Amino acid sequence: MYLGKLFSMRKVSLAAVSLDAPAPAGDAKWVGLRMLLALTLSCLAFISHSVPFLLVLTVVNLALLWYLGNGQISLRRELKAFVWQTLVILVLYLIRFQDLSGLWGGFKISWQLFLALLPSMVFVRSTSQTRIVQALNRIMPCRMAFVLSTCLKFAPQLLVEVRSIYEGQVLRGARILPRDLVKPWHWLDLLHCVVVPAVVQCMALAGNIALAARARDFGSQPKRTCWPGL
Amino acid sequence: MNPVAEPAGGLFRLSLKDALFIGFCAVFAVLARMMLRLHLHISGHAMLVTAFFLLLARGSVRYRFAASFAGLLAGSASIFLGFAKSGPFMLVKYLAVALVIDLAGLLMPNLFRNYFWCALVGGLAGGTKFFTAYSVNYMVGMDPTVNFQASLFEAAGAILFGVLGGLLVPVVLRRLHAYGVIS
Repeated sequence: MYLGKLFSMRKVSLAAVSLDAPAPAGDAKWVGLRMLLALTLSCLAFISHSVPFLLVLTVVNLALLWYLGNGQISLRRELKAFVWQTLVILVLYLIRFQDLSGLWGGFKISWQLFLALLPSMVFVRSTSQTRIVQALNRIMPCRMAFVLSTCLKFAPQLLVEVRSIYEGQVLRGARILPRDLVKPWHWLDLLHCVVVPAVVQCMALAGNIALAARARDFGSQPKRTCWPGL
Repeated sequence: MNPVAEPAGGLFRLSLKDALFIGFCAVFAVLARMMLRLHLHISGHAMLVTAFFLLLARGSVRYRFAASFAGLLAGSASIFLGFAKSGPFMLVKYLAVALVIDLAGLLMPNLFRNYFWCALVGGLAGGTKFFTAYSVNYMVGMDPTVNFQASLFEAAGAILFGVLGGLLVPVVLRRLHAYGVIS
């Protein structure tokens, strides 16, 4: 049972990845400001070594979490990672210093690392993908922003196709069910039956999108134009 | 000939089709990490998919900096999808792996069909975990000895899984070549 769980597929909500979600109020400049704020807070976590500074930074992060997330964002997953990371660091500090005096230093390091990741998590959870992509268009080369946004947009469709390939291969008798994949010698079957067709599908989809974009004169202007005036 | 079709990409020119394929590899590298729930508690197991998809991106197209482009996209995607455990440094982590792959590709253009070289490059790419983990821990002021041990611990797992990820690439590329999908 445990082994089955070991290789179980996590149900990822594709709606979270979708770019079609309704965008909240605020324009690309506001999103860019949020992005900058998240990066600044992350960087501040690395240079803050004193406890008062860390406390202030924690309060600022929590206020930001409350303000941007409207109290809807849960930190359960992040706190689990924080506890696991703290345990590893504390054990290493205990081994290094051979007494309990080093534990506080280890905890402080873990606290800093947590504060470094918290702002970007808050930013992403509180901002819709559409707004993020619009902001990306301003800071990235337009071709790169187009590729990134298009790939994120089509990722759910590709995942559906990969799933149908997987189900088709299972029906044909391929040994790629989770209970089969517990045995490493079956991993090659997964590679041949699912990964290779999925890559071929990826290439075909990339070719179709590129053709459609070219047919709409993509790349004919040095600066990308959008409809309807994003 | 289709007048709308774009000319094929080359060593220094990335066609839109190739760019999109690289983008899909990058997005899959991020999504696979989200979807595969490996309760192994072994540090560095994410390097399996990272090394595999970045090597695949570089091995499938002729563009010399394909892995770097994929790394840049994967780093950006993981930051903006909220999967960046270490915040903005995720970009550096992906780029470090990608640069090793691109450098190896520049030195040995045919390495992607060879199991040994792919495993070696995968391992070297996994080895970058040591430097990225050491840098992050150094910046927060971790004790140098503990930092060295912690980074080594993380890098050992990453190297192992990088080698495994590298070993999978020639199998896929040979099949794609046999189907005539890549030249």
